[in-house]
Amino acid sequence: MKILLWAERLKLKRSKILWITVFSAAMVAIIVFMQGQFLYNGQRYVDQVGWYMNATQSLGSLYVFPAIIALMGSYIICREDQDDTMKSLALVPVDLSKLVGAKMIVIAIFAVSIYAFVYIITLVVEVALHISLLDLGTVLDFAKIYFLEGIGLFLAISPIIAIVYRLKKGYWLALIFTEIYSFMGLFMGMQSTLRFVYPITAVFCVSGYYESTPVQFVISMLSLSVCGTLSLMILRGLNKKHSM
Amino acid sequence: MLNLIQTEFLKLRRRKFIWLMLLASILMPLIGIFYFSASGTAEISPMKFYKWTAFSYTPWIILPIVLGMLCTMLMYDENQNDMLKQLWIIPISKMRYFFSKFAIVFFYSICFMLFASVGSILAGVLTEIISLTADSVLFLFIKCLEIGILVPFAMIPVLAVAASQKGYILPVCVTIVYTFLGFILLMINMYIHPLSSMTAILVRNIQGVDLIAPIHLGKAFLCIGIWGIVSTVWANCMLKKRK
Repeated sequence: MKILLWAERLKLKRSKILWITVFSAAMVAIIVFMQGQFLYNGQRYVDQVGWYMNATQSLGSLYVFPAIIALMGSYIICREDQDDTMKSLALVPVDLSKLVGAKMIVIAIFAVSIYAFVYIITLVVEVALHISLLDLGTVLDFAKIYFLEGIGLFLAISPIIAIVYRLKKGYWLALIFTEIYSFMGLFMGMQSTLRFVYPITAVFCVSGYYESTPVQFVISMLSLSVCGTLSLMILRGLNKKHSM
Repeated sequence: MLNLIQTEFLKLRRRKFIWLMLLASILMPLIGIFYFSASGTAEISPMKFYKWTAFSYTPWIILPIVLGMLCTMLMYDENQNDMLKQLWIIPISKMRYFFSKFAIVFFYSICFMLFASVGSILAGVLTEIISLTADSVLFLFIKCLEIGILVPFAMIPVLAVAASQKGYILPVCVTIVYTFLGFILLMINMYIHPLSSMTAILVRNIQGVDLIAPIHLGKAFLCIGIWGIVSTVWANCMLKKRK
């Protein structure tokens, strides 16, 4: 597994995709900062302490980050078939279940890294704007939210990546499905019960962005666990099919 | 040029997924059914319903993302199958090639919005949320046609990025960021981003829409025009560089 993870890291280093996703994440931070210039009751949004960190993670999680994680995920997991390198890997021989497992771990690390990167940007801006008003509790609270959203979104999106891998050559499907899936979260968030069940908004509950009771928290955790289990089942079924 | 457009249309027959993407046009009408049924308001005006199902998120987010995907697919498939070399051998003009792709995006956008308008009417009437009136239906169709015509012009920059790249990752990321930027800029300045300018043109005669400043149609068309021309020139240069 260690070798597979090392190989995946090297493959990503050669690809421009990391820089493209870094650019996309930075653009989200810039766009939300621009939105923060909008005046409300004579005051800019961005002048409120914590607004920027809050808005970046919520807007990004509803419109942009899920699609980027799904795109990156489907690229990483489907590239062996796309580049026709799967045959060479099968000759080595590489265990398919371990290979897919390593790729899923890389995707999870990637999801957390995107959020960590955006967290650093937003924190620097918040510090630059209101260093005297910012307390350690708020900073750590947002660190928890960003970190958990990275993991949570990976779990919420993992079934789509697994389905796309199963369908083969359906990279576009991952993107379209994920964009609709995350966009629906906008409306699910308005429903008092569904918001804790729907995986995209369940992430907000688990991360602490939504206030929730212990029962609602458990429901959200279950929802994300179901997503994770579902993707494992899909990938497991695929491995069995390959080994036959 | 007409031959190229005809060829592009013939190629579409092999791309079933593009037709599946049309289903995204009925997403907002479906959400509208749940939203208005749950709100329990006794009488909803057709205009209020259409504002939700056809004039809001559909032109701001759904249609631009779908068109961005379409632009990327149209360009990427030919790169992937190494067809471009054969096309350059014929030889085909780079600009004609670019505009033949644009013609597909343009036609698709109009079809998408007509689907959205039919979906909105069916969603409203079959669930008895609204009552059908000739004026409102005519307004809906004209507005959807307007959106269908304007959005492809606002998406020329994405088509240019897709034309300049061999891969699909960058154009797709650009589509997402570009759409998100247009959506956010609606509240700040409507004459910087083509999609925001498209919205300014779109909402000029929709009742009950309040904006932060009066709408200036000239600036909106200028914004879309400048971005479109610059992107086309850039796409031409990038296509000429590619051997």
